[in-house]
Amino acid sequence: MKKILFSMAVVLCASATYSQVSILKGLELFGDLKARHIGPALMSGRVTDIEGHPTDSKVIYIGTAGGGVWKSQDGGVLFNSIFDGGLQELPQSIGAVCIDPSDPDNTVWVGTGEVWTRNSVSIGAGIFRTVDGGKNWKNMGLEKTERISAVEVHPKDPKTVYVGAMGALWGDSEDRGVYKTTDGGATWTKVLYVNATTGCSEIVMDPTNPKILYAAFWEFRRTAYSFNSGGVNSSLYKSTDGGATWNKIHNGIPKGNLGRIAVTIAPSNPSILYAVIEAEKAEEKGLYRSDDAGATWKHLNSNFELTVRPFYFSRITVDPKNPDIVAKAGLSGSISHDGGKTFKGLGMMHSDIHDIWFDVNDPEKIFAATDGGLYRSLNGGTTMEMIENLPICMFYHVSVDNQTPYNIYGGLQDNGSWFGPSASPGGIEARDWNSVGYGDGFRVYPHPTNPNIVYSEMQGAEGVWRYDKQIQQVKVIKPFPVQGDPKFRFNWNAAITTSLYEPDRLYIGSQFVHRSNDKGDNWVKISPDLTTNDPTKQQQEASGGLSADNSGAENHCTIFTIAESPLDANMIWVGTDDGNVQLTKDGGKTWANLTLNVKGLPAKTWCYHIEASVHDINTAYAVFDGHTKNDMTTYVYKTTDAGKSWTSIVTSDISGFARNLQEDRINPNLLFLGTEFGLFITIDGGKNWLKFTNGVPTVAVHYIEEHPVTNDIILGTHGRGIIIIDDISPLRQLTPEVQAKKLHFFKTMPYEMDETSNFGGSSGETQFVGANPSSSAKIIYYLSSRHTFGKMTLDIYDENDKWITSLSPGKQKGINIVEWGFNSMAPMVATGKTIAGGAMFAPRVPAGKYKAVIMKGTEKFETIIEVTYPNKSMFTKEERLQQQETVKTMYVMTEELAYMVYQIDEYLAHSEKVMKENASLKKQALKFNTDLMALKKTLVITTGDNYVGAAEKQLREKIGDLFSTIGAYYGAPSATQLESLTMLQTSFTEAKKRFKEIQIAQLAKYLAATEKAGFVSVTMKSFEEYVKKN
Amino acid sequence: MTKFSLFLAFSFISILSFSQTAEEIVATYIKNIGGSDKLKSITSVQMKASVDYGGMKIPIEMISLRDGRSLMKITFQGQEMVQMAYDGKTAWGTSFMTMKPEKNDAEETENIKRSVGDFFSPLINYKANGYSIELLPNETIEGAECFKIKLTKKPLLVDGKEVPNVEFYYIDKENFVPIVVEAEIPSGEMKGNISQTVYSDYQEVDGVYFPFSMMQRLKDGEGQTIEFEKVVLNQKFEDKIFLFPGE
Repeated sequence: MKKILFSMAVVLCASATYSQVSILKGLELFGDLKARHIGPALMSGRVTDIEGHPTDSKVIYIGTAGGGVWKSQDGGVLFNSIFDGGLQELPQSIGAVCIDPSDPDNTVWVGTGEVWTRNSVSIGAGIFRTVDGGKNWKNMGLEKTERISAVEVHPKDPKTVYVGAMGALWGDSEDRGVYKTTDGGATWTKVLYVNATTGCSEIVMDPTNPKILYAAFWEFRRTAYSFNSGGVNSSLYKSTDGGATWNKIHNGIPKGNLGRIAVTIAPSNPSILYAVIEAEKAEEKGLYRSDDAGATWKHLNSNFELTVRPFYFSRITVDPKNPDIVAKAGLSGSISHDGGKTFKGLGMMHSDIHDIWFDVNDPEKIFAATDGGLYRSLNGGTTMEMIENLPICMFYHVSVDNQTPYNIYGGLQDNGSWFGPSASPGGIEARDWNSVGYGDGFRVYPHPTNPNIVYSEMQGAEGVWRYDKQIQQVKVIKPFPVQGDPKFRFNWNAAITTSLYEPDRLYIGSQFVHRSNDKGDNWVKISPDLTTNDPTKQQQEASGGLSADNSGAENHCTIFTIAESPLDANMIWVGTDDGNVQLTKDGGKTWANLTLNVKGLPAKTWCYHIEASVHDINTAYAVFDGHTKNDMTTYVYKTTDAGKSWTSIVTSDISGFARNLQEDRINPNLLFLGTEFGLFITIDGGKNWLKFTNGVPTVAVHYIEEHPVTNDIILGTHGRGIIIIDDISPLRQLTPEVQAKKLHFFKTMPYEMDETSNFGGSSGETQFVGANPSSSAKIIYYLSSRHTFGKMTLDIYDENDKWITSLSPGKQKGINIVEWGFNSMAPMVATGKTIAGGAMFAPRVPAGKYKAVIMKGTEKFETIIEVTYPNKSMFTKEERLQQQETVKTMYVMTEELAYMVYQIDEYLAHSEKVMKENASLKKQALKFNTDLMALKKTLVITTGDNYVGAAEKQLREKIGDLFSTIGAYYGAPSATQLESLTMLQTSFTEAKKRFKEIQIAQLAKYLAATEKAGFVSVTMKSFEEYVKKN
Repeated sequence: MTKFSLFLAFSFISILSFSQTAEEIVATYIKNIGGSDKLKSITSVQMKASVDYGGMKIPIEMISLRDGRSLMKITFQGQEMVQMAYDGKTAWGTSFMTMKPEKNDAEETENIKRSVGDFFSPLINYKANGYSIELLPNETIEGAECFKIKLTKKPLLVDGKEVPNVEFYYIDKENFVPIVVEAEIPSGEMKGNISQTVYSDYQEVDGVYFPFSMMQRLKDGEGQTIEFEKVVLNQKFEDKIFLFPGE
């Protein structure tokens, strides 16, 4: 009965499993399909917050705008990312990092959601805590707060924590204010709330009395087309009872509307406070100081650096030991040594400083968080050096070319436009990247056929450039209005694209689609105004609130995406930032507004991307982003009738509002979706989505490209630079049938043996180096369950079933990728006193078909993989054959020599034993031993060491050196190399002859005598046994 | 009846899956690989293995004794080299340059001393060693859903400072054996990175299950696999093989 019950349960479980095969979690499917990060880090990205350990200043944490949390344990030399998460969603946009002062080695709180509220800012998802220094994280609630400005932990009671929630940027929300927990984050109480438009922008705790707290509140709002800082509700509060009651502390603070307020306390004297205030009158803006714990305030300074862009720079920091040294984040950053009366600039670094941190033990050591990474000063801020291993750059867009290796092009938040290679000798280093544009960079494209020409742009298309790399010539190609044209409106991130049909064609979108057929020299408008042209959304001059801020970031009613159909040159899709989807089928003569056909989509939702299908002329995908209207919903629609009707392909598997979709060019059901919270993949046309977490954190993915030759997926992320998933072709072959099999080999393209070699780069460990793709052959298979018990092996055979080598098979459930470097086995090498480096060489196999055989217990699975010589090889077939034959000859020589030395060593050991134990045989044994030893000394090194004490090379070393020299070059050996081989062959023949002579003269007699004396004879392995490798 | 029985069966499965404590999971693991008595009776483990470096197969021999002494020896071009050994007092290895034995630094030796009770697996002797275990939320690793157990050992000494010594065991929910063990690299230039050891090919040796394949890697990085060919239990070894030969 029990048995029956059990088997029924198993059957039931099994059938449940089968029906779920296609909806596996990503972690059960993607396996070895992993992403590689190539940064770069030379321009790095926005750092939002710096937090140091209270006593051990070697430990520093930084929060970043889109790249998570990084930790240094060596005083800021090297940093590691500690907030990647796996399937756990850890948003990469960081507001505040706070170390628990009572457990500073282990407990850290991270409030997510950046508080430097620029147009491109990402969102958070509450507060997280680690109790093991960053290895594991737990969500501690406040999920709806969107952005957290501050976390303060009680110094003696770690369960009491205060959180400043700035809250929603793009709409009203009650999830903001000061929150307090007294049970370690299990429950939260909102202890100070103003209204739905005003959030907490800072909290500071008195270091000597944790009941005393100061909180700044800010009234603020951003829309897609405007920004407001300031209102009657912005205020500064103080509590003296642990947050139970709060009072405004405005004695001396300007009347009227206030904007953002920065506040801080001097750690060495808690009566001294500094506040930086955005006020109505210019003369009242700037720095205020209180010397009586906030009771009264005195205005000290209205310098530019103290008043510039408060929404972006609002942090002030006091030296831990001296209350009169105070540093203010700003456009360039500044520091005062006289209590705020006067300021001087900090040393040269990237502009836009968001936070400054003083080393608690040595305040001359200062760190600054900028739009271009983290900087460190060892001399009080006079000179600054950049930390070069933070690949947190923020791409808006990415494109690729068809060179080998291909290049990646893209523009970055405040860090210009660049291109760099997808692979480089020794890894992708800073020096491999090339600048092709100033300002904020966005869309960068290579000319489709001319590898020297690159197009790039800066914010609001203020600059649009055509750059000739070869002659280093730049031409501004921005379209200007002509007679009868209105002012052109370009988005901050203006739509530019090249053509699939005409190599010199270029499109750019203002409110019109402009087309050039001569690389941007001349332009024609091929559309009317395709936007809603709503005048109420075009008041950017009035934007900013108390501090005017008309940077182009709020330009609106513009074209944001332009997509030519890959199947018809006259069919062009356009999406606008104010929610229009437009289509022309006649090259721009007539346009149809399809917006109202997208049912279920709220009106005026930003059309972020349109992907025109390569598989079907009437199929397209449209991705909409409503977050600038405070709508965080994911919107992805598909049409199969050229826009007449649209169906949502969004499921609850997806999180985050979406920005980009990439269709696979082979399998129409394989789609890649980039959202605010990472990368999602569907293999069934959108019925189910899987989050890809193998190396892709919960980072904002702004753009996705698929490389047409390598099948790589390239992600332009806004906080983690360029991330590549090499060769996604196995995903094309994943069907429910494949997933139901115990083991399934994926079909692979022939692998070309890379014959390039080089000396690599020179980056030290303090510089980030991007990972290269693998250049090995790959055996790729799907396992339906993880192999844990019993033996599993993977062997490679040639077409004649001759064993070549063994590899270590992957055992995980899902996709396994086993790499094979095209090598056979290295030869057995003679034993000497030292190591023969030259002989450490496993020859490469010739091109051809090879069989990969997996044994899983007694079950056998096999597949064929093909390896080829490089297409562009300079070697002929005959030359290769000559090299391979020579290598074979030397391989045999190496092993024959090894076997000879093995035999000699056995005889030497035996004769030494005889000499020691039998006096009467000593003479005979000594002669035998001496003759063999004399021979051995000519065969292998018998003295010295592996470094500068190395002895003179002998036959083993000489053969080894020539063997690997000829083996590592794939053309024919040179005449002198062959002459050298002949010489070595002669020496070896002589050695063999000498060995034979010794054996003939002495061996039989020696063995007979020693056996007679009771010594066990020498047991010698055969040559075949000796050289056996599997 | 059938319905009722099935319901029971499912309840039982549910109980199995959801109400396990860290202690119970470790107990099941110990039971699955041979049982506590059997494991306690082991005095020594000798493992013969090999590592493949792109076609160069390097034999490795590892010996560990219950009293904490250990030895790892590789054979390279016929030369035997002790890579790592601990004789109860001194931890040492061979300089590849001179081929002569050299002592490890004092801190490393101290940390080895602190882990002498880890014979076979620190998870098995955790109580006796004064270590603690804690069950964390389940995680999927190697495509398999796993229990995640945090093992806190005696602190490590790093640059003169005591630091927490924590390992995370991912125990496959299907087989109740660890398939991945994870730890933060505590010192050196890789400090702060996460190392992983991936176990598979569990096979029985004299009633005890051993993973015959072990891959070491940085989290999300490429790995190097050690394939075990032979495991011998309860062998006796001469004391001198562990001893630092330099004194």
